[in-house]
Formats: sequence, structure tokens, C-alpha cells
Amino acid sequence: MENFFPITLLIPLPGVKLGLGNIVTVFALYELGALPALAILVARCLLGSLFAGNASALIFSLLGGLTAMLTMILLKQLPKLSIFGVSIGGAAAHNVGQIAAAMITLGNTMVLGYLPFLLAVSLVTGALTGFVSSLLFRAMQQVKLSH
Amino acid sequence: MTSRSLTVNLKPTVLDGVVVAAVIAMSVLVAAVFYGNKANDDKLTAVVSVGNKVVDSLPLFEGESVHTYSNNGYTLQVSVTDHGVCVQESNCPTQDCVHTGIITRNGQSIVCLPAQIVIHLKGADLGAPDAVVG
Amino acid sequence: MDTYMSLTAYGKNAQTALTDASRKINELERMLSTTIPDSEVAKLNETLHFRVSDETAALLRTSLQYTQSTDGAFDMTIAPIVNAWGITTDAPRVPDENEIAFLLNYVGSTHVHLDGNTVTLDAGSAVDLGGIAKGYASDCVAKIFASSGIASGCISLGGNVYVCGNKPDGKAWSVAIQDPQSNNYAATVALSDAFAVTSGGYQRYFTAENGTVYQHIIDPKTGYPVQSDLMSVTIIADNGTMADAYSTALYVMGEKGAVDFWRANADSFDMVLITADGRLLYTPNLQNKISEPEGASYDFQVIDR
Repeated sequence: MENFFPITLLIPLPGVKLGLGNIVTVFALYELGALPALAILVARCLLGSLFAGNASALIFSLLGGLTAMLTMILLKQLPKLSIFGVSIGGAAAHNVGQIAAAMITLGNTMVLGYLPFLLAVSLVTGALTGFVSSLLFRAMQQVKLSH
Repeated sequence: MTSRSLTVNLKPTVLDGVVVAAVIAMSVLVAAVFYGNKANDDKLTAVVSVGNKVVDSLPLFEGESVHTYSNNGYTLQVSVTDHGVCVQESNCPTQDCVHTGIITRNGQSIVCLPAQIVIHLKGADLGAPDAVVG
Repeated sequence: MDTYMSLTAYGKNAQTALTDASRKINELERMLSTTIPDSEVAKLNETLHFRVSDETAALLRTSLQYTQSTDGAFDMTIAPIVNAWGITTDAPRVPDENEIAFLLNYVGSTHVHLDGNTVTLDAGSAVDLGGIAKGYASDCVAKIFASSGIASGCISLGGNVYVCGNKPDGKAWSVAIQDPQSNNYAATVALSDAFAVTSGGYQRYFTAENGTVYQHIIDPKTGYPVQSDLMSVTIIADNGTMADAYSTALYVMGEKGAVDFWRANADSFDMVLITADGRLLYTPNLQNKISEPEGASYDFQVIDR
């Protein structure tokens, strides 16, 4: 799906994705717990890079995904934090991980210059994933209550 | 499972705002480090790296020039003017380096992932050599 | 080329000159590379008897000539031994003594027979023009620049540098010599209309299982990587092919051999030697051109004529 909204038009750093796939991670983390969510994440990354057909795609999605996952697991421990805060934190971490992947792949730290823009973008994507996830949970709660 | 999903906090809280503030702060901090150096902004140099090795620094104040860099089997043709730097042509599959267009300001960069080439604009280092052997 | 290259040209015809130069370099690579299966050199090595182009034949002759003038310190027929070591490949290894002694039988100019454009190699022998191909390519680019009217330009083909004229601001080009022991520069030299090439064991090497470090330049006489008292040799000349061949040969010769060789051929090139014990030796012509960078770590000395 993200191939329809190539972030590279805005930030010309190949390999970087918006991270809308984080919806799946957020949902799995809340609904199934940390370990299953982690398994789903790794499986998604492996399958994704299999289809993309290159190893550097794996580094980007895995580093981005894992950084987001770990951050969200930690943030979720804070009782006063809503699903919005968790997914915004996750989205930001996702982009930090992707920049790290770019630095590793290129062997060059200059790409850090893209981080401020990516972080700004992550506020929007994080809020979006938080919003979509909250809709999902509301719908599920209603299903459960009606039983 | 039911109990878990019922405890999900779905309403934005004050602490969410703290997370947002933290992300903004980080963004500003990195931007300040990267784009804050305005000292030499009128005289820029395009630093070309292949992998972690700086292979060229091209002053933007010595007239127009054209450069060719090859790595990993890909060749980029780079054009330098007094105004800025752009990748005119590349045979890499993604073409992101070409689509980036012209960069003109301190701190900006053009990245070609397949060729592992980064072109980065920074304040001119007037003592930098024109070529390196070794 | 397996290494990066950078071509810079200033002025009106810069674009066309660079396009022509890139085309020429690619053409040379397709002709001379040992790793491109249908290159002339690969075909020659495979079939041992092959009719090559005028250009390849001329380059083979030039190469034989440098083998003679360097008394075998530069030798394109070292290829079978280079392949046995595989130092520049992903799978380097240490061949045993017998294997090297055996392969040395196939090294030497006597195994190459040139009759016009027809080249014959003795069975077991092979040639690799990698030691002068980049230098030759830089000569070709220099000719293209000259015929396109480029007055100012600078090229680097995997470390083989050619500077054309002066910089657009009228000053000489500043060419830095890599410090073999750090990421800094050991010295910078102000050059115009010159070729510069550096050879050094530090550029590529591998560490064997027993901890011995083997660098990539092999002595054609012993078949073993050179144990040089030099860390790097930089040749500065008005001929790129020669500079390329000599930089390797003089590294093989070591400090004394290199200095003697320069004294015998002093008019044809300048050089900068960085010795393993921390001295940086340069020829007298470079006296007003060479400069120490800040915090230089070498003891700069002029070589006597």
C-alpha cells in the first residue's frame, strides 16, 4: 500500500517507508501481547523483503520495525499514556531505526540530516496509526459488549 | 483477551502531549546540529562520499563543472553550478538521486543507495585538497 | 572498474568531454578486464592464442617494456600467482610453497609472444593489465580533454589522478597523498598538468588464520606479497601509464631500490616515498610544491640526486 504514497517524493532517501504498517504492530501489541507481536513483525519484514527481493530492504524494515516495537513496549508500560502517545512514539522510533539502517547501508552519517523531517512526518503518521487503531478497538469493544 | 482490550486507553492524554513534545524537541535538536552552522553559507562545498570515504569536495564558487562518479556498477553524472548541485543522470534502478533535483542549501544532501554515493552540501573548507591519491 | 572514479571538467565543452571520457573508460574496461569473460584479455588468457585490437597489443608491448625497465619488479604475467593468493577476492588464501614455486615457472615476459596483433601465451601463463590499465585510461582521458579544449579538469580513476591545467581560479590543483596509517593526509602536492598514482600495501590486505598480514602487491620474483620497508610510493609524472606501472614496481623494490631507480631515471618522474619507519622522502623537483598538513606525522626529507 505504501508504494502508492512514496515518501521519497518528500524525502528523497530510498528505502525509507512511512511506517503505516505500524498499525498492525500497535494492534498486535495491545491485543496479543509483546511476543506474538514481535513474531508477526519479523515475519512481515521477512516476507516483505522476499517480495521486494533485496537484502537492504530487510535491514530498513527490520531496524525500523524493531526500534518501533521496543519503544512501544516500553511506552505501553506507562499507565497515563493513550494509544496515541504509544503509536506516535513508535512512529518516531520507526524513523530513527530507518535512518540508522540508511547509515549502515551507506556507511555514511550524512543521512542524519533527513531525521528532523522524518520525525515531523512521524507525528502525522503516528497520530494516524493511533487514530485507526483506536477506531478498531472501539469497534471490537462494541462487538464484545453486544454479546 | 477481553480484559486486555478493555483496558486500552483510547483517549489522548496529557502524557501523549509530552511524547509529541519530545519528538519535536529531538527533531529541532538534530536540525540545529545539522543545519545550524550558518558561518560559511555563502561559500558552499559539495562533499561527495562513496561508502564512508570522502572522494571529492566540489566548491560551488569556481564556475560550472560536470563530474562522473561510479561505484557498485552504477554511474552518476553530477552537475555543479554556483547555485547548487544535482545528479543529472544515473543508471541506478531507483533514480531517487535524480528525482531529488538540485540542492542549494547548507546541510542538504543527495543520496543514491544503490551506488552508495552521498553528496552533501556544507560550508566551504578552503584548505581541502582537490584530489587524493592512495 | 571495481573502484570509484571521478571526472571533473570545467568550461564550455565539459559535458561532451566527460561523456566521451566515460565512454572511453567503459570501452577500455570491456577490452582489458580479466573478470569480464568476453574481454580481449580474458579471451587471451582462456585461449592462449588470440588476435587483439591495436590498442591492446600496444598496451601489452608497453607493459613488457616496463617489465624490462624495472628489471621485473612490474610484471603483468604475475596473474597466475595473484589468482592463487586471491588477495583482492572474497576468498584469499595462502598457497603452499610448492604451489608458488610451480606457478613461478609461468611468470615472466618470455611466456608472452607478440606477432603484430596476434598474441600467444605459453600454457599455464596469464596476463593481467590491472597494474597499468587505470593509468592508461587516465592518459586516454587526458587526450580527450586536450582535443575537446578543456583547460581545467581533474580526474581520479580509483586513485589514479590526472590534473589538467590549473584550477579555474588559476591556482595549481592540490593533490593529497593518503596517510597509510590514518584517515588523514600525509602530504599535499600542488600540481598542474600531471599524473599522480600511489601504491601501498595498506590499500588492500588480508590476515591469515595464523595472524600474518599479507598485503596485495606480490613480488614477481618470489611469488610472495612484498615485505617492503615502504608504506607507500607516489609517482608524479607526465605519463599516466608509466606512473601506474612505476608506483607498483618501486613499492616492490623497497626504499633503496626505488631511490636508485629514480636516480637512474630522474628526468622522467618525481616521487614521494613514505617509509615504514616514519620518513617521507620526496624528489627535489617537488620542493616548492609539497606541503605538510597541520599535525603531520612524518619526517619530511629531500632525496639527493
